[in-house]
Amino acid sequence: MSANHNRPLSDVEIRVKALESLLVEKGLVDPAAVDALIDTYEHKVGPRNGAHVVAKAWMDPAYKARLLADGTAAIAELGYSGIQGEDMVVIESTPETHNVIVCTLCSCYPWPTLGLPPVWFKSAPYRSRVVSDPRGVLKEFGLELPEKMQVRVWDSTAELRYMVLPERPAGTEGMTEEQLAALVTRDSMIGVARVAVPGQEGART
Amino acid sequence: MAINAEQALAATKVGATARVDAAVLPRFTPGTRVRTLNLNPPGHIRLPRYIRDKEGVIERDHGVFVFPDTHAAGLGEKPQHVYVVRFSARELWGPQGGAKDELLVDVWEDYLEPG
Repeated sequence: MSANHNRPLSDVEIRVKALESLLVEKGLVDPAAVDALIDTYEHKVGPRNGAHVVAKAWMDPAYKARLLADGTAAIAELGYSGIQGEDMVVIESTPETHNVIVCTLCSCYPWPTLGLPPVWFKSAPYRSRVVSDPRGVLKEFGLELPEKMQVRVWDSTAELRYMVLPERPAGTEGMTEEQLAALVTRDSMIGVARVAVPGQEGART
Repeated sequence: MAINAEQALAATKVGATARVDAAVLPRFTPGTRVRTLNLNPPGHIRLPRYIRDKEGVIERDHGVFVFPDTHAAGLGEKPQHVYVVRFSARELWGPQGGAKDELLVDVWEDYLEPG
């Protein structure tokens, strides 16, 4: 921030500021509402919500069954409902099948469980390449899948939002739900990574 | 006139679903072979180009949703079923596709015909 302190504002920044000033002056936007929304998506809503869902599904087979049958209702049980998560689908990855999510038409993403999408998820290269060469793209994320494993790419072009229920890693049998949730990354719920146990093979550094 | 912080946060909690509670019968059932239409209108369409005029199988029925193509044009909601359609990677990409790999795409019923 301090390094950029003296640089002039970019065209987009100037345009946004001008637009915001006008909307506030005309009484169309309450600046406190804008601040509340930014604070929510910067600090309160994010992939820790999804990690809670995943860890609970790993611990509780009945919850997992509900989650896979009706993602929207099961996620609502934990309170993670709302805009861009109105209709949720949860896809389970298994030792035989790896799942990965994309929205080729735009950047649809399950906000209440995963927060706002990372820039690469919205980028044209990811969106165009993960459908035509999923194994190559996953390899670039550091995930090399054996030939015998099936890859399923889910393109969320309609109104439903998807997240992956990743495979529970081996060696986590004695862990609590909280400890498990700490292992679950955003990328594993998009499907460009697997969940690894720190110190074990496959762990991300 | 402007909504306040409390109202803005309440709106994020509720959202706005495009699911419609309408008694519309599905034209297809899971397991049915379908073919996507080859549609190339000048305006808005939610059928990705890479799955136009391709063979697939109905994987699941998501229920009834507003059809954005008509809704965006002010021509009504035209509620209809949205399906997950499963395509083999080979069907879409030829020999470059992984032999066992699949693509699963949400598709509105109006984009489909029997396979």
